[in-house]
Amino acid sequence: MKSVVLRMAWRNLWRHGRRTWLTVGAMIFSNSLLVFSISLQFGSYDMMIDNSLQTFSGHIQLQHPAYLDQPKMRYTLADIADNAQQLRDELGLETISARASGFALASSNERSHGIQLLGVDADHEPLVSTFPGLVNEGRYLQSGAREEIVIGSILARNLRVGIGDELSFLGSGLDDSFAAGVVTVVGIFESGIADLDRIMAQVNLGYFQDSFAMQQAGHSIAIRAAHIDDVEQLMARISAGLDDPTRVVARDWNELQPGLRQAIQADMTSAWFMYIVLIVLVAFSVLNTQLMSVLERTREFGTMMALGLKPVRLARLVMLETGMMTALGLLLGIALGGLITAYLGVVGFSYPGMAEMAVKFNLPERMYPVISPLSLILGPAIVALGSLLAAIYPALRLNLLQPIEAMRAV
Amino acid sequence: MSAIHCHQLCKTFHQGDEIITGLDHVDITIETGEFVCLSGPSGSGKTTLLNAIGGLDTPDSGEIRMGDLRIDQLERGALADMRLHHIGFVFQAYNLIPVLSARENVEFVMQVQGVAAAERARKARAILTEVGLEGLEDRRPAQLSGGQQQRVAVARAIVSQPDLVLADEPTANLDSVAASHLMGLFASLNENHGITFVIATHDKRVMAYARRLVKMQDGKIISDEAQ
Amino acid sequence: MAAHKLHFSVLLTLSWRNLWRNHRRTGIMLGAIAVGVWAMIFMTALMRGMVDDMLSQGIRNLPGHIQIQHPDFLDDPSVANSIAVPGAEFEALLQRLESKRWTTRIRVPAVIASERETRGINLIGIEPAAEDDVSGLPALLSEGRFFESPLDGGVIICAKLAERLETRLGKRVVVMSQDPDNNIRERGFRIVGIYRARLPGLEEFNVYAARDTMQRLLRIEGRVSQIIVVGEDYREIEPLYRQLRQQAPPGLQVRAWYEIDTYLAAMFNMMDGFVLVWVIIIFLALSFGLVNTLVMAIFERVREIGLIQALGMRPALILYQILMESTLLLLIGLGLGNGLALATIIPLQDGLDISVVAEGMAMMGASSMLYPKLTASDLLLANSVVILLGVLTSILPAWRAAKLDPVRALNST
Repeated sequence: MKSVVLRMAWRNLWRHGRRTWLTVGAMIFSNSLLVFSISLQFGSYDMMIDNSLQTFSGHIQLQHPAYLDQPKMRYTLADIADNAQQLRDELGLETISARASGFALASSNERSHGIQLLGVDADHEPLVSTFPGLVNEGRYLQSGAREEIVIGSILARNLRVGIGDELSFLGSGLDDSFAAGVVTVVGIFESGIADLDRIMAQVNLGYFQDSFAMQQAGHSIAIRAAHIDDVEQLMARISAGLDDPTRVVARDWNELQPGLRQAIQADMTSAWFMYIVLIVLVAFSVLNTQLMSVLERTREFGTMMALGLKPVRLARLVMLETGMMTALGLLLGIALGGLITAYLGVVGFSYPGMAEMAVKFNLPERMYPVISPLSLILGPAIVALGSLLAAIYPALRLNLLQPIEAMRAV
Repeated sequence: MSAIHCHQLCKTFHQGDEIITGLDHVDITIETGEFVCLSGPSGSGKTTLLNAIGGLDTPDSGEIRMGDLRIDQLERGALADMRLHHIGFVFQAYNLIPVLSARENVEFVMQVQGVAAAERARKARAILTEVGLEGLEDRRPAQLSGGQQQRVAVARAIVSQPDLVLADEPTANLDSVAASHLMGLFASLNENHGITFVIATHDKRVMAYARRLVKMQDGKIISDEAQ
Repeated sequence: MAAHKLHFSVLLTLSWRNLWRNHRRTGIMLGAIAVGVWAMIFMTALMRGMVDDMLSQGIRNLPGHIQIQHPDFLDDPSVANSIAVPGAEFEALLQRLESKRWTTRIRVPAVIASERETRGINLIGIEPAAEDDVSGLPALLSEGRFFESPLDGGVIICAKLAERLETRLGKRVVVMSQDPDNNIRERGFRIVGIYRARLPGLEEFNVYAARDTMQRLLRIEGRVSQIIVVGEDYREIEPLYRQLRQQAPPGLQVRAWYEIDTYLAAMFNMMDGFVLVWVIIIFLALSFGLVNTLVMAIFERVREIGLIQALGMRPALILYQILMESTLLLLIGLGLGNGLALATIIPLQDGLDISVVAEGMAMMGASSMLYPKLTASDLLLANSVVILLGVLTSILPAWRAAKLDPVRALNST
């Protein structure tokens, strides 16, 4: 592009400095807001997913095909501990844990409560789930120990037991026999999720299998991926290694926790609705400015056309001016937005009411937006696109200009 | 209205690095009912003097007195009131408010003065007829010729019977016929209504109507003669 | 004063006509304001609707606006912490409350066993006559019937639970729980009704039985776990709450919904803040264009402003005229925006189907139908912010125009 045209476009912008700055200002405002908001969103979505999955479910689970819809005792996976180890060897991942689960009635001296009893691999469970780490009284299960149990804080309260107290449990085994036992409470965890603290209890897998007559079977193998982006690949590898889909399937977190993805989608949709409104408003601003800018130069353009310039060149000039303005808004907006977001990324950001929300969604109480190249550029890029589109109408109008009439314009 | 006394008026303008002398120790007295022309080339100071007398611009130093009133010492609000009630302006161009019709333009000042609607309408109609624009009252300025626009401006300037009418190059954009009509109008208003006229111009046709011709150059009055 | 009235009408005429001098610019600005105001109101109505839904659902699940129970019941929701059924005096008090909707409930942990499976549940004893107002249970029944009296011998369970237990309507189940002396008490019940939970989740573990039957089963005749009171509007239960706190029999704990579920309380409080922030953001985005439009309009009229000053209009009036112009623009834009909002909200009165994200919504406690809710206060907020801040933003350019030097203005090109 000829430098004279560039210079002309640039200087035209500054003929009405205030007007240009106000238009660019709208872009900077919107861009900064978008950078901040999108950074916050992306960061918190990832965190939400990770935290939710880490709590218990893991990114992938191997289960009996019917187990997801109907978690019944009889839908088992055979030789679960061995299979889990095999999987560990094949994938080179230690964050894999075998589990079995059943309903039982737990009784202390004074009270009885229905609980969800989980048999877990004490060595590997802490690598997959955060529960073991949430034991704040006593300790977690010891590997290989038998009559030990870890229960939730609300359950402990309801049963009126503490560390060292005994509980008996009564359930129904795989072969419909009675599953019973007496265990000692060695640890009490508090996850903050009332429903889990009230219902969940964990014992060692081997002890569970014996009590519930499961032999070597279990119900699920939970796998935690290092990063959410690895899940797809892992799924592919695992599924390839499974030979009988009537006996065992691999399910990723989308199936295990459909609500999670949907909640994120719903949030994204509403956020994008709001973003689009902002972008549209900026586009209106650009339309107005550029239309006025074109109309007030009617005479000037008429003269240029009389001198031989085709309307197309004038249209290109207008688009070039818009492009420069937009570039200015883009760069400054990214800079300002980036600075603010970076600052808040260090200092943290919270608003009243966030703490309670946070618990529900497994998010920390203070949010720390995370900048990524995408989050920096996505919003401003769309604003820029909208602005350029808005300028098309004024630019096209130039085609309608007739030189003599134009020069007579007031 | 009492006579206007200007004493040692000075005004300079700054244009970039240049200093331009607008008024250079100007002394002048204008009596009631006079028909004065200020003539001189561009930059001679005639517009500056006009603006000073009309309270549109404050001199850097010197006095302007109307009776006991020191015009050069009035603040903006009081100057506005003075212009509103006592002075009519006619400029070279852009005399009218584009969004108002001829009649509304004439009524404008009266409205701001607080005159009742019925009386406003009556006076506006009368004055527009007097300046020869009967039938064109509802046209907007864009729909009137240059000469017609000037006549609307004059109508507006005099409708509320000001003491003084200040006109700055009123004929500059008019052809000879329109110009002579306009000047004839000024003259008759001066004779019939006793309105003082001070007209800044370098148009010889206008100067022919003057009864007193004040020549200015470089901010100074170089001659002041009755004609 | 008459003079002021005349000023007003000439200023109004000038403002109105000046607005339309550049109809394209004005039109585009109006379009922007209309879109902005529409977005303010529409989005707010949708969000309010969702939060309102969440709160209604949540409160119906608690249930109730106010719960009265034994002070230890919270920590230890067992049969030991029961309270007496309201005596004559308390009952009279409850009858005098404006809402007149109250009921008692028993709630204990229990175990239910079908032929195939066993599950831990919440066993809830209800008064059939009053339940409709409080939890809306009768409306959720998909099969079978509701209880016919407080002595009904059936249970009503959730469809999901029936699936888990591999049982169905009409079959027998055994329910086990404890009495105050820690003895296991059990009884056979017939499943007389099946309900569908509004939201997937823990509602599945609620099993309902008739109150008096449960009292007999648990050997707590004359006692209940909770008294539940429902007011007219969950937003305005303060008077009711205070009354109950003062006048309930001593030794009982009275709690309002926002104390019982802090998540709901947080959502409730957050909404107003969210609306304000959203409205302000939109306004700020509009403000750039607004100032620009005004500045452009003034710039084109500098000579005219000089003229008007020369004619003797005081600077203050020039300020007013320009502000009036801006106000007219805002008012028209507001009219358009409000109209657009109504036009898009009214068709959605029957709800927007968002079942594609049903489980996600359930996570947040909302149903899969979104009903917009337009409140007077939200409308007022949006309109006031636009008009007040809009005029405020216009003051600076208007003030500068009024302060123009008439000579310079007249001579500008």
